[in-house]
Amino acid sequence: MSVAEASTTAFAFEVAPAIAVLPLASFVIALFAGKYFPKKGALAGVTATGGSLLLSLWVMLTVAGGAYYNEEIYTLVSTPESFDLHFGVLLDPLSALMLVIVSLVSFLVHVFSLGYMNDEGERGLPRYYAGLGLFSFSMLAFVFADNLFMSFVFFELVGLCSWLLIGHWYREDAPPSAAKKAFLVTRFGDYFFLIGVVAVFATFGTATFAGSESFPVLAEEALTDGGAGGELSTFGLGAQTWFTVLGFLILGGVIGKSAQFPLHTWLPDAMEGPTPVSALIHAATMVAAGVYLVARMYGFYALSPTALAVIAFVGGFTALFAASMAVVKRDVKQVLAYSTISQYGYMMLGLGAGGYVAAVFHLMTHAFFKALLFLGAGAVIIAMHHRQDMWEMGGLREKLPVTYYTFLAGSLALAGIVPFAGFWSKDEVLYEALVHGLTDPLLLVAYLMGLIAVFFTGFYTFRMVLLTFHGEPRTHTARNPHLPGWNVKFPLVVLGILATVIGLTNMTPVAEATGLEIEFLHTWLEHGIEGLNSEHYGELLETVAGYSAAELSPLLAAALSLALALGGAGLAYSLYSGDRPDRHTDRLGDARTLLMNNYYQDEYQVWIAETFGTGVARLSDRFDQSIVDGAVNGVSSVSLFSGGRIRRIQTGIVSNYATLLTLGLVALLLVVGLTGGWFL
Amino acid sequence: MVAVQYYLLLSGAIFCIGLFGILTRRNALFFLMSVELMLNAANINLVAFSFQYGNLTGQVFSLFITALAAAEVAVGIGIILVLYRNFGDVDVTKATTLRW
Amino acid sequence: MVISASLVTWFSGPTLQTAPPIGDWVALTPVLLLGLTALILFVIDSIDPDDASNTPALAGTAAVGTVLALGAAVVLLAAGIGQGQGGALRLYGGQLIVDGMALFFTVIFTSVATLVIVASYDYLADRVYQAEYYMLILLAATGMTLMAAAGSLATVFISLELASLPSYALVAFLKDNRGSVEAGLKYFLIGALSSAIFAYGISLVYGATGRLGLDAIAQQLSGGTQLVGILGVGVLMVAGGFAFKTASVPFHFWAPAAYEGAPAPVSAFLSSASKAAGFVVAFRVFAVAFSPDAVAASVDWTLAFWLLAAVTMTIGNFAAATQDKVKRMLAYSSVGHAGYVLIGLAALNAGQNGLVLGASMIHLLVYGFMNTGAFLFVALAEHWEIGRTFEDYNGLGTQAPIACVAMSVFMFSLAGLPVGGGFMSKYFILVGAVGTGHFVLAALLLINSALSLYYYSRVVRSLWFEDPADSLSIDGYPVGLYAAVIGAAVITFLLLPGIFLASDVATSAASALFA
Repeated sequence: MSVAEASTTAFAFEVAPAIAVLPLASFVIALFAGKYFPKKGALAGVTATGGSLLLSLWVMLTVAGGAYYNEEIYTLVSTPESFDLHFGVLLDPLSALMLVIVSLVSFLVHVFSLGYMNDEGERGLPRYYAGLGLFSFSMLAFVFADNLFMSFVFFELVGLCSWLLIGHWYREDAPPSAAKKAFLVTRFGDYFFLIGVVAVFATFGTATFAGSESFPVLAEEALTDGGAGGELSTFGLGAQTWFTVLGFLILGGVIGKSAQFPLHTWLPDAMEGPTPVSALIHAATMVAAGVYLVARMYGFYALSPTALAVIAFVGGFTALFAASMAVVKRDVKQVLAYSTISQYGYMMLGLGAGGYVAAVFHLMTHAFFKALLFLGAGAVIIAMHHRQDMWEMGGLREKLPVTYYTFLAGSLALAGIVPFAGFWSKDEVLYEALVHGLTDPLLLVAYLMGLIAVFFTGFYTFRMVLLTFHGEPRTHTARNPHLPGWNVKFPLVVLGILATVIGLTNMTPVAEATGLEIEFLHTWLEHGIEGLNSEHYGELLETVAGYSAAELSPLLAAALSLALALGGAGLAYSLYSGDRPDRHTDRLGDARTLLMNNYYQDEYQVWIAETFGTGVARLSDRFDQSIVDGAVNGVSSVSLFSGGRIRRIQTGIVSNYATLLTLGLVALLLVVGLTGGWFL
Repeated sequence: MVAVQYYLLLSGAIFCIGLFGILTRRNALFFLMSVELMLNAANINLVAFSFQYGNLTGQVFSLFITALAAAEVAVGIGIILVLYRNFGDVDVTKATTLRW
Repeated sequence: MVISASLVTWFSGPTLQTAPPIGDWVALTPVLLLGLTALILFVIDSIDPDDASNTPALAGTAAVGTVLALGAAVVLLAAGIGQGQGGALRLYGGQLIVDGMALFFTVIFTSVATLVIVASYDYLADRVYQAEYYMLILLAATGMTLMAAAGSLATVFISLELASLPSYALVAFLKDNRGSVEAGLKYFLIGALSSAIFAYGISLVYGATGRLGLDAIAQQLSGGTQLVGILGVGVLMVAGGFAFKTASVPFHFWAPAAYEGAPAPVSAFLSSASKAAGFVVAFRVFAVAFSPDAVAASVDWTLAFWLLAAVTMTIGNFAAATQDKVKRMLAYSSVGHAGYVLIGLAALNAGQNGLVLGASMIHLLVYGFMNTGAFLFVALAEHWEIGRTFEDYNGLGTQAPIACVAMSVFMFSLAGLPVGGGFMSKYFILVGAVGTGHFVLAALLLINSALSLYYYSRVVRSLWFEDPADSLSIDGYPVGLYAAVIGAAVITFLLLPGIFLASDVATSAASALFA
């Protein structure tokens, strides 16, 4: 590498923090000066995220050139010999890729918001754009975080932004309560995460992701060398057991944020927020934070087969479980919400099954096609004058051709129909689960659940498309939709193209069949910082976690899942393709009621909350009243009482003062004299 | 020549007598006198050690202390005077309006 | 930092690295100005003893004197006198030392004295013996500046008495007020006892070393001493003398009474300047003469100060939390703050001496303004005769919003919230305590700060959130008191961003002691 190249390389990384800082600036501008701007802060946001996108691309190109970056930029607390809290930047293939995804989606959502919010005359726009800016800032900083502590900080900020944005229409009833629910449910998971962060610090004395002193490396050394394990405090447990516990603790945050069973209930409610928000944070990026975190510290999870198996099983179960609920929904955004949960289930399945690349691949494709679907739904909602019930739509195909074709591209990707993006990535996830599952029954069950979910996915996706765009318009609004402007169409087209072609970057079955070197994502993730690439993870999985892959052609698995997806789609087509489709799901009877009510997840959680919760609450209330309050009151009354005692020393009689003074001096003389050994 | 430790004992004794007076006497004037005793205990030390070390620093300083003791008494007497005017007594334990 | 550096270059010329050679009297200009002003007041009073007619002349002369002394101190400090490569100026055979620390504290004393004198103009209106009042303040200030510059135990003792004796008289200034007289009596009696203990301590140190000069004592002690017991008792008795001056437990008993009974401007002066004077002399004596490297093994006075710091801040804050009267609360809080500053002395054994001592110096600087301002606000309340308890202050924010804003700034800054310099200075102390491994003191500092927030915020709550009593009415807005209160508030606030101007000076001045 020449000198000139080296300096430009360094410069790209030097300015990398600006990727996050630009949206922060737009947050400040929108918040304080937004109301003076013609578009109420939207332009600042568009400019900032556009800048972030360009910078991210630059960083990505630099990373592609084989350079990586892992530096502290700001130290909060540094105590020698124990631990340090710092903010840093870690730029490697994974984070560079994610930066591009996040900034691109964020940019497009800002543009879309011009159509969805500004043109619709919504109020509180500066607040809205400030929220988007702050969110983009938090998410981008989370992505390039170089340690777990920084991740946690921005993880929480992301949660806060989510709360702000879901509750954007705070004057209505539902959004504030949905916002609260999202905040509380994810927070529940984050408690575990927080404990996990502290435990990681306590165990390793560091929480950095990369480098020879990072915690995954230390953990790996402890397990492989054996000798180093003695230096780590594992609190009496075996090293691997303790690492599994740590992994579970951090997984708590992941499950909350990535809406995995059983903490998925907040996500459908979060659809109360403005649709661009749903696209940005509840589909493409924030929910991705959890999965991304697992990918980021995959070197740590790869050490624990138990944690991996749990991740895979939860993922597979969530994929099926959520997909089944999506089947009966009437609200277009609800369908998408459950599909989101389901798709993240696939990613977790991929990670847990040892398919690191597959999961990242699905993360990428999903970000694009799900953002596309949400924005498409947003366009439909604009057209429908903010009605969201699919049974009120129909026949929008002619009126909204751009929306229709892009939405269709997104749907094909979601359903996993060849050659759209989702097919390649979902297929690879399932393939990884299958080849590892043939040697591990738990993984095989997870795989089967994922496989069945493919059928449901195909069904609900096309049910959604058919009900929305096909047939005869079922209402007056659907006959005279409001036509969207360029700012709606532009993001749709960009994402539509991406959803169609992005999967071509990693066509594993084709590569297998033809022997061509076209698995670009595999190549991309194979290089990277020492110990932080897919090759190393693969070794870890084999040596430490004991994963082994069966020999199987990817074509077979691909054919199977494609057949299922087509089956689901075909069923949907046969049921809902007519001009006036029937409400077939009504025939499901009790099952529909069950699904409509989301398996009574909310109810059972409320029930748990009410019975156990109330019990615990009563207990904790009593605890709070008697012990905590008692302690607090006790402390304050002890303070005041002892204060009262102390002031009683001040008798007002000067002779007593002289006596106490003398006694104090004598006591001091005795203490210092005894320690100094004067009397010996 | 008397060894210096005897001076130290003497000064220590006088210091303690003065301290005892302060702790037990309630009359403000006795209080003042007791402080004088303590200061003079310091003077004894200074003079004795000055002689011991053969430099004059201590002796000169003892003169300063004597002068300052006089100034202190002047201020003290003034305060005791207004104490008597306000409380009708020179008992130091009587003035207890400012407490707790 | 940049500004102070450029000031230095501006004053000292671009080429000079060390301070220019100057006469002894130039380095002592602030001290001389203060003493001279006191004498001028004496002359004015002799020529025209009528207080009523020459009140402006008296207050004006006194204020001009302190302002000039302040200016002189700032100029000397900025010119780098006694700092940098030339080292400290040793005057009169090392009896007086002018260096960065002496000048830094001179700035504190003269600033506080200026504020107090300006405020006293209104407070003393229609009272007799005004000339004597100002004179006593100036003499006490002279004593304090000398304390900051004292280079031997003899000058330490004399300057300490020069600061103390006028203070006794000042506390008892309201001759017909039982509280004032009682306060004066207690202050005097405890002070006399303490100075006797102090003198005896000096005599013992002299006995162990045969020297009174601080450098000379250090030199003697560096070779070790046989008379460990004598030295040890002496050192602790000397520490007792300083503990009296700084109102540290167990020598603090005079403080609540004296601050409560004294006229409020005098309370302000004593609790800010006098306390700072006690600390500066303690810093110098313990850092130079009883340097921890030399004596720590046998006479571990850092342990003594550790205990004093822990007990002082705890007792001060706990007692303050239960007070009903604002002034007495401030008195106890003043004890508590002495405990925070003592951490600087307690941590002088961990190789971070310049840092921890510098933190204490900065806290004393900030405290000089915020605490003076708080007491002057009480003076304002006494001037209005609205009463002394928290309840009496209810709803004052509606009547005197500007002064109440200032008071809120003082309270929050004292509590260590980031609305004034008190936040940064307390943070520095905390960093110093943690950095030197004194985690218990750091924890106590945090606990006590939390507790202090409770009682400081009571004042703010009363001022702004409680309904005023029907009888609440204030007559007039006295110019002098207002000017002093607002000035103190502005400086307290400015010290939040501007703390770094002072912190560099303070840390380098503190480090110079150990060079």
